Parts: sequence; C-alpha cells; structure tokens
Amino acid sequence: MRLTFGDTRLLALAAGAIAVGVVLFLNASRKQRKRKKLPYKDESDTVYVVQIPRGKKVPSPSPFPIKLETYLRIAKIPYENVFARKFSSKGKIPWIRHRGKDVPDSQFAIEYLNEQFNVDLEAHLTKEERAMSRAFLKMVEENLYWALACYRFIHDDVRKADYPSVIPTWALLLFGRRIKKYAWGQGMGRHSVEEIFHITKLDFEAISDYLGDKKFLFGDKPCVADCAVFGMLVQVVFNQTYSPHNALIKNEFPNLERFCWTMRNAFWPDWDQILAA
Amino acid sequence: MGSWLSRKSKFDDTSNTVYLMQMPRGTRVPSLSPFPLKLETYLRMAKISHKSILGFSLSSKGKIPWIRHRGKDVADSQFSIEYLNKEFGVDFNAHLTNEEKAVSRAFLKMVEENLFWVLVCYRWFFMDPKDFGFSKPIPWLWLAYIRRMTRGYAYGHGMGRHSEEEIFHIGKLDLQALSDYLGAKKFLFGDKPSETDCSVFGMLAQFVFSDTKSPYCALIKKEFPNLERYCHTMRDAFWPDWDDVLKKGSS
Repeated sequence: MRLTFGDTRLLALAAGAIAVGVVLFLNASRKQRKRKKLPYKDESDTVYVVQIPRGKKVPSPSPFPIKLETYLRIAKIPYENVFARKFSSKGKIPWIRHRGKDVPDSQFAIEYLNEQFNVDLEAHLTKEERAMSRAFLKMVEENLYWALACYRFIHDDVRKADYPSVIPTWALLLFGRRIKKYAWGQGMGRHSVEEIFHITKLDFEAISDYLGDKKFLFGDKPCVADCAVFGMLVQVVFNQTYSPHNALIKNEFPNLERFCWTMRNAFWPDWDQILAA
Repeated sequence: MGSWLSRKSKFDDTSNTVYLMQMPRGTRVPSLSPFPLKLETYLRMAKISHKSILGFSLSSKGKIPWIRHRGKDVADSQFSIEYLNKEFGVDFNAHLTNEEKAVSRAFLKMVEENLFWVLVCYRWFFMDPKDFGFSKPIPWLWLAYIRRMTRGYAYGHGMGRHSEEEIFHIGKLDLQALSDYLGAKKFLFGDKPSETDCSVFGMLAQFVFSDTKSPYCALIKKEFPNLERYCHTMRDAFWPDWDDVLKKGSS
C-alpha cells in the first residue's frame, strides 16, 4: 500500500499527539510520585506547611508563609514545615496538609484551621473591629502586596532581595516576568514607579495611623490581620533594607518597624536560629 | 494621552468643566462599572461642574474611566479624585480622625481590590449574559474575547483560581464587613459622606440595582439589609435624577 502525502501527514499528527500524551502522562505520574514522597503523617494532628525554603534575612521572602506560620505560632497549633517548591492545586504556595486534606491559599488554610482547632484570634474584637480587621487584611494582601511586588520584581533588581539560594536566578527572573504580566491585569502594573510609591506610602500611613501607640492593630492581643501586616512589613523592614520603602518607614512611620520587632520578639524568638540553620 | 477622541471631540480646555470619559449607561444603573459610578458620585457630591462623555475611549493606562480638565488627562478614578481634591479644594475626609481616615482607606482597598474581583468573576464567568444590564446584548464574539481576557486577569490576580463557592464566600465576608461597620449609621463614618462612600456605593449599586438576580443581591436583601438601605440613601442624596439618567442613556 502506497502512503499518500495526506496519509503521512495524518500519521505524523497522530504520532505527535501520542508523544505529547505520553510526556504529559509521565509528567503527571512523576508529580504524583513526588507528592507521595513528602513526609506527611496523615494520622497525626500535625499541620504540614508546604512553603519555599528559608531566606537568609527573613524566614520567607514571601509574605504569605510568614503570615500563616505566625498564625500557627500564635494559635499554638502543632505544625511542621515542608520546604519544597511544590505548588498547590491553585498553582500557588504556601498550602497546608492536615489529616490527608490539602488546603491551598493562606486565608482558606487559616479558616480551615480555625474550625479544626477551635481557634478564633478575633474573638476579643467587637463586630466593628472584626470588620476593620478584614478591611486591613485585604488592603495589605490585595493592594500593598502588588505595590511591593512591582517594586521588587519590576522596578528594582530582584536579585538584591533575599531569596533562598536553592532558587536559581533564572527562576527568579522568570517569576518576575510573570508578576509583571499579572500586575498589568490586576492594575497596579499600569502605574508609574512614582505612582506606585505614592500608593505604598498611603497604605503605610493608614496602617501606621491605625496602629498608633498600640502593641498590635487592635490592642494587646494579635489577630490574623496582624499576621498579614507582619508578613508584608518584614519584607521591607528586614528583607529589602536597601529600599526607599525601608527609608520611608524609618523616617515617617517608625511605629511600623516597632510593630515588626514586637511581633518578631513575641512569636519568632528563634528567628536568628532559623536563619542561621 | 493624545487619544484620537481628545483630538476629535470638542473639549473646552479653557473652562473649568471636568470631562468624564466613561462607558455607555446601563439600563438599571448609571454605570455597569463601579469606578465611573464612584467618580461621578464624587463629582456630584463635590458639586464640580462636569460632563460625561459616553464611549469606550481608554486612558493612557488602557482603562476607563478617566478625566480631562483644562487640557490635562488624568487616568484612574482614585488619581482623578486626588487631582480634583487639589484643584477644587475638596476634602470629604476632613471631618474624619486619623484612625478613621486609615480605616477609610482600608475599606476603599478592600472594596476596589477584592470585592471588585468577586463582581468581575461573577459577571463574566457565572452570570447568565442575558442578565447584563446593557441596553443591547453583548455580541458573542466580544463576550468570548472579554471572558478570555478576564480569565487571564483574574487568574493572575488570584480570585480566578477559586471555585464559584469560594468566591461567593469571599464576597460574603467582604459584604459582612461593610454591613457590620456601617451598622445603623447613615454613611460609613456617620452623618456626613466621605470619599470611600463613593466607592462603596459604586460597588454595592452593581449588586443591589443591576445584578438583581445574583446570589449577592439575595444575600444583601436577606442578611445585610442595611447595605441596601445605604444604597438608597446614597442614590436619593446624590442621584435624584437617577431615572432620567437611565432613560436618557438608553436613547
């Protein structure tokens, strides 16, 4: 049987499709095998926090693992870190695993843990304070986060920031390109460097004015918003100490630096040992 | 910006009129986007002489609304308000304490950077396109294009990675925060409206007046009726010609 040109093309297409299918299957099963290798003990009550490895100046170059870990420490929930570049089902990190259940997203993880361990860091707040706590949480995670991410990844050289050495430079730069694309869609990426700095300053001012002389945002006991604010501000106060944002805090909003030290001393007394390890 | 529109249209750059570039009117709400509604409510509150130019001319930042005043284009609703505050000596937050100003900004950002994406995901991924409050149905090619673009943006933002139920849960928590903070007050911070009231109204009006078949509207009516009451307060105070605006916009 002589093969026509059309037949050959069809065969090539089919071969290509099969090859792609095989590669995808092998990749998926490799990921499955890798997941199975992680040290979870699903019968225990331990919460496994999957996050990227430690930095040298801060426990994480990302605000969300610090928020989550600080919450776990405040709530005294037994947890174990799994340092790995393993992304959640939502394609992000950190995420948690507890009794065989994976919960992606730091905020959903906290809500899940609140229920599982009967924790409520907002129990002492009035209804209005709870409302304000949510507002500050969202301002920090959905606005300030993008302003600082644009600075770190787009306006400045990301290699100056403290990142674990296991993350290669090319991965950082690639991630930076992704952030640039995401920030455009989110909106922050459409503003100029000066405009973003202005937005950052207004957010710092709001947190500083609300915090005032208080120990934590809402008085003498911390809540989840404090964990989020801490996670974000440590990136400026302890990580990117060379940044204009660091100078801004030192010059105009010193109570934000004081707040970072308060949180660090209270809930991360092992900060230096963690970083030295 | 030098948009073709600004060259073609007859802006009077010598007058003090503020030209507001925004999308065509909705059938149930003066703008189907919270940001033009926020900006226009602010202009009315501040009694600044303004003229809306309805269309799809995008700003230098690729978005809408934007304003033009005395030949100067200002993109982004919040930068526009900051510019207008300075130009016209307006400060709707003057009566607030420093803590209240801080809380005001926090709510502004919660609404514009979080609740906004709940609205976007609902409208473009889950809502029946027939429920859009435009005067004409959106052509299916445009719908497909905008959906695809929005999926990318929402995924990058983060909200697009959640399920419909998770997004509803996030929206509910935001609405609860607004409702709990508003309480029985007339406006967010008492008897006088502040800048953030414009933004909160711009957002809530979408659920309360336009997306009336949405689970968010049902949720507001059932569990957060003070938010509906608040929308009517803002509407009666600053949009007494609401019905006329909608009627004119549909012609």
